[in-house]
Amino acid sequence: MLRYIAKRLLDLLPVILGITILVFLFLKLIPGNPAIVLLGPRATPDQIASLSKQLGLDQPLPLQYLAFISKLVRFDLGKSIISGIPIWQEIKTRFPATIELSVAAMLISMVLGIPAGIIAAVKKNGWVDNIAMSTSLLGVSMPVYWLGLLLIYLFAVNLHWLPPSGRLGINVDLQPITGFYILDSILTLNFRALGDVLAHLILPALTVGTIPLAILARITRSAMLEVLSQDYIRTARAKGLLERWVIMKHALKNALLPVVTIIGLQFGTLLSGAILTETIFSWPGIGSWIYNGILTRDYPVVQGGVVFVAIVFVLINLLVDISYAFLDPRIQYK
Amino acid sequence: MIRRLKRWQAALCVLVAILTVTLSNCAQQAPTPSTEGGNSPSGSPAESTALVFGSPGDPKSLEPGNVEDGNSLYVQQQIYDRIVDYKDGSTELEPALATEWSASDDNLTWTFKLREGVKFHDGTEFNAEAIKVNFERWWDPNHPLGFRDAGKTYAIWEGLFGGYKGDEDSLLQAVNTPDEYTVEFVLKQPFAAFPAAIGSAYFGIASPTAIEQAGADYGIAGSQAIGTGPFKFVEWRTGDRIVLEANPDYWNGAPKSQEVVFRFITEPASRLAELRAASIDFTVDIAPDQLSELQSDANLKEVRRPPFNVGYLALNPSYEPLAKKEVRQAIAMALNRKQIVDSFWSGLATSDGQFMPSSLKQYQDANLGDYEYNPDQAKQMLADAGYPNGFPLELWYMPVSRPYFPTPKPIAEAFAADLQAVGIQVTLNTKDWAAYLDDRYKPPGYQAFMLGWTGDYGDPDNFMYYHFGPGGTKDLGNWENPEVFRLLEEARQESEESERAKLYAQAEKIIFDEALRVPIVHSEPLLAQRANLIGWTPSPLSTESFETVSKS
Repeated sequence: MLRYIAKRLLDLLPVILGITILVFLFLKLIPGNPAIVLLGPRATPDQIASLSKQLGLDQPLPLQYLAFISKLVRFDLGKSIISGIPIWQEIKTRFPATIELSVAAMLISMVLGIPAGIIAAVKKNGWVDNIAMSTSLLGVSMPVYWLGLLLIYLFAVNLHWLPPSGRLGINVDLQPITGFYILDSILTLNFRALGDVLAHLILPALTVGTIPLAILARITRSAMLEVLSQDYIRTARAKGLLERWVIMKHALKNALLPVVTIIGLQFGTLLSGAILTETIFSWPGIGSWIYNGILTRDYPVVQGGVVFVAIVFVLINLLVDISYAFLDPRIQYK
Repeated sequence: MIRRLKRWQAALCVLVAILTVTLSNCAQQAPTPSTEGGNSPSGSPAESTALVFGSPGDPKSLEPGNVEDGNSLYVQQQIYDRIVDYKDGSTELEPALATEWSASDDNLTWTFKLREGVKFHDGTEFNAEAIKVNFERWWDPNHPLGFRDAGKTYAIWEGLFGGYKGDEDSLLQAVNTPDEYTVEFVLKQPFAAFPAAIGSAYFGIASPTAIEQAGADYGIAGSQAIGTGPFKFVEWRTGDRIVLEANPDYWNGAPKSQEVVFRFITEPASRLAELRAASIDFTVDIAPDQLSELQSDANLKEVRRPPFNVGYLALNPSYEPLAKKEVRQAIAMALNRKQIVDSFWSGLATSDGQFMPSSLKQYQDANLGDYEYNPDQAKQMLADAGYPNGFPLELWYMPVSRPYFPTPKPIAEAFAADLQAVGIQVTLNTKDWAAYLDDRYKPPGYQAFMLGWTGDYGDPDNFMYYHFGPGGTKDLGNWENPEVFRLLEEARQESEESERAKLYAQAEKIIFDEALRVPIVHSEPLLAQRANLIGWTPSPLSTESFETVSKS
């Protein structure tokens, strides 16, 4: 098993190298260079040329790439050319925000999605199934932007139950320790802050979680349906096992494999930052940061941010693969 | 199964145990809840006196002289003072760090008497030397505190003052400090707008000591921004907020509010929702189409910033058909500008023939007139100019929303429809914003394009010279008109306001006639506040101090 993990980690290197090349080239493909963005509409061609030179943008592409890679292998992601803030510093404060949002969203989608899928499968074509499946179709197709605003208007503007956006109320005193606000407020036993953090988390988590929720419900349902038609389920029932037992143990465990894959993929996607949701909810996470970096041609931010996110994504996929071994004893890694 | 469960239970027990130990350890180390900022010790949001401003985004930097974006300048405006300032809501100058100022007889030396007894937030003394350091680090490429090697450019300096030390075009020749509270700026050429220009929000005066300590990192998140302004910098959480607290020793009296929080909310719809939910008190950059929602909420008030911009349609004479003045005039007459402005700005804008906005009324030619909407005459003029069947025209529209063009694409479509009606075959184009700005300089440039301008400082020079003076027409095939150049140069050197007004009026007449940048609109940017906020007077110059703002 350990050897397998080590081998997989080694395999990651070419993948990550490929990602760096792609990110680098794609960025250069976008027209417009950061010098113009930095200098604004007033900039003269001379100013643009001299700043481009200063930023090293006049070098041939391969040289620019080499400079980027040689820093990367020393874990030096550089600084934002717009704000001057070191990339690591931004990742350190923003990634916890994204993780917090992703975990909350995944929890919501798992807690609601998997049971919905199971019930829908068991009561196939019944009214529960119909409602669950049409709702999930709605969930997959609803534009995130619209859903987010809808939730804000309902729960913040009209009902005043929850704050409209942000991560922490302005009157709440919470000094970041780990950067995970939930954890920080628990660590400092600051329960007022904890309540505030959770209140800020609910709406964006619901918004981000809707699509994974809908997908999970649908995948769980179809996986369960397939398993429930297997012979061994009939056998289990024939043995006189409780129906609950048949479904929860015999069927669900075997149906979980595709579900876990989806959970992993969705979680990986969420961790790369939910750009729209983070923007609507003013959530200081990775997605809105990279998005801004793209708009301002902040090459170091986009390069550093995307490479970081890509590594996280690949690692999560590795974890998913490893988890198969625990879920399915037939799978062995050598 | 049973055995398995037990394993789970064991794991759970261990986890709980670990958590308990960690928690109890941390609880011992945890500091007692602090009451930072000195307000709302009980912690109830309702008792908070903090002003919360909904900012459209993070500042790029809090370093003066090196950024031009509104998000940065709004925060800088609170932390720093400038040598001179603008009166509330106007483009008129008033004393700030300087109590009085005058020009020498040859208009080449500007002398400023400085306020005594002012201290920076770090306790260091403000004096003429501090001014000298600030200006020289922007102007002198070799200044030790300029940190050019770290990529700093101070482009706005070159933009407003011609160039840096050693450049031929540099307007500034020397900064002298004859005594501790007097500073002299020696110019190479007279520049009547000099006090207005250094009073713009870019040129806040920072503590030289703080700059020296922070080095090239001065002004980035995590460093301390130190000025003499009404509010002191406390904290910057990127992507989230900046917190400022009142400067009780402010020379103009302590500000009305104890604390100002800038919250970064990029999405305009979210900003309005925050305002309606009372989690922010005031905000800027509301889209014109949100006006009705804003008006429907009795707890909110719409606020209009006095117009200080122009949105124009540029017609590039280096494109054959547009080389003829009559063709450009015909285009100006073919556009139903009034109707377009009425439909896309929700009444938050005016359209006239003036390139300068009405905030600079004293310099405008009141009899200038306007391009009357007259498609028939436009058609006739095109025919007379040799284009009875019109001609193809590529019209570029901006990919981003700006106060002067909030929805560029539909506006461009309206232009196109009007121009088609007189036979001009319009193709609409756009590209990424950075490329859009850059490529207009690449010869021959765009045939026709939309762009605009928001003034940096309250002087016509800033509108006229930069668009029609030497070097200002690179995006119009280097169009030049010796008479316009002469008038604009002369207006720079004339110190008498009424004389300057005459010069600008003459220049405006020619520019109107030439129809190169056809003024479409002067918009009033839409802002909004909660009804209980008092004392907020938006400046036409895009940012203003919050020292008089408070909540009732």
